[in-house]
Amino acid sequence: MNALSFRMATALFVLVALALAASGPVAAAQSAAVDPAATRILERMTEYLGGLKSFSVNTQLTIEDVTDRDHRIDLDVSAQVTIDRPNRLRSERRGDITEQTFVYDGKSLALFNPGENVYATEPAPATIEGLLDYARDSLGLIVPVADLVYHNAYELLMQDVNYATVIGKTVIEGVTCDHLLFSRPGVDFQVWVADGDKALPCKYVVTDTGQPGWVSITTVMSDWDVTPDVSDAVFRFVPPEGAKRIPFMRPGASTPSSP
Amino acid sequence: MKQILNILLFAPLAALMFVVDIQVPGEGQPPSFQLVSEAQAIAGVRRRSFRRGVVIGSAASASSAQASTAAPTQQQAAPAQPQPAPTQPGALPIGTVVSTLPAGCAPMTIGNVEYQHCGVDYYRSAFQGNNLVYVTSQP
Repeated sequence: MNALSFRMATALFVLVALALAASGPVAAAQSAAVDPAATRILERMTEYLGGLKSFSVNTQLTIEDVTDRDHRIDLDVSAQVTIDRPNRLRSERRGDITEQTFVYDGKSLALFNPGENVYATEPAPATIEGLLDYARDSLGLIVPVADLVYHNAYELLMQDVNYATVIGKTVIEGVTCDHLLFSRPGVDFQVWVADGDKALPCKYVVTDTGQPGWVSITTVMSDWDVTPDVSDAVFRFVPPEGAKRIPFMRPGASTPSSP
Repeated sequence: MKQILNILLFAPLAALMFVVDIQVPGEGQPPSFQLVSEAQAIAGVRRRSFRRGVVIGSAASASSAQASTAAPTQQQAAPAQPQPAPTQPGALPIGTVVSTLPAGCAPMTIGNVEYQHCGVDYYRSAFQGNNLVYVTSQP
C-alpha cells in the first residue's frame, strides 16, 4: 500500500512538474502571438464607432457557397443601414437571397418585403439594444446591424483569440486601411480599418478554418457617413400602395399571431 | 435551387455580418449575446457542409435546429409544434409551414383575413423570423 501511494505521489509530482514546465512557455507564446499593435487598432475602431451618435453605411456582403455539383459560387447582398442612437434604425437589403426593409422608430418595428409587397409591424422596446433583444428572442428576427450596437464588442471579438497581427496597409474603395488578422480556434477573421482619425471598418472577412475548403464571408463597407440624414421620415414606415399586412409567426407558435 | 434554399435558411444570420461590432457607452451586455458575425455565419456554413454529408461538430446541430424553425423547406412541417387534425380529408395539418406555395392557389378573404386557397388547404402569409412563409390555417 505504501509503495502504491509512493508511486502515485511520484506520478502526480511528475505530472504537475510537466504541467508547470509546459504551461509557462505556452502561455508566454500565446500572448506573444497576439500583437498589441493589431489589438490597439481594433480597439480604436470599436471605440470610434461606439462614440458616434448616428451614422450610415453601405455594405456589400459576399457569401461563398458550394453548389450540389461542387462548384463554387458567390452570393451577394447589398445593404444600406442608418443608425441614430439611441432609438432609431433603418436597413435595406437587396440581393441574391433577400430583399427586405427593416424600420424602427423607437416605438414600433416594421419588416417589409418589397418583392411580395407584404409587411409586418409590432410595438417595440424603447432603445435599439432592447429592440435587438426583443426581435431576436420574441420574434426570431435578426436585425441587420446587431453587431453595430451591442456592448462590449471589443472583448467579444477578442475572445479566444490566440493570434493577432498587422498584415500591412492597403487601399479599399479609395481609403487607406490597416489590414489586421485575428485567429481563434476554427475561425480566422480579417479586419481592415481606415487609417487616420476616423477609425472606421473598411472590410471584414470571416473564414471557417474548421472545415475543408475554408469558405469565407466577405463584407466591404463604403460610403460611411457620420452625419447622415436622420429626419423622422427616414425612420417612419409607410406601407406602399396595396401592401398587405401579415403577422409574425413567433418561435414555438403553431399559428401566426394576429396582425 | 436546393442549395439556394439552404442558404435562405441562414441568410438573415449572414446578413448581420457586415460590420464589426461597436461599443456603446453603457453597462453590461445582453445576456444572450453571441458574437453574431463569426459564430452564426460560420454555423450557417457548417450546416451547409452537413447537408453535403461532411462530418460536423456540435455547433451544427444547434444551428440546424434553429434553421428548421427559421425556415422549413417546402412541404416540411415545422417540427415540435402541436398539429391539430386536418380539417378535411387529405388536407395538411393546421400549422404546417412552407416557404413556397403549391401551384394553383387562389387568394381568398375570409373574415377580414387573406388566405391562399390551394386545393383543400388554406394558407396564411406570415414572417417567421426574417423569412416569408405560408402557414396552413383554418379560416
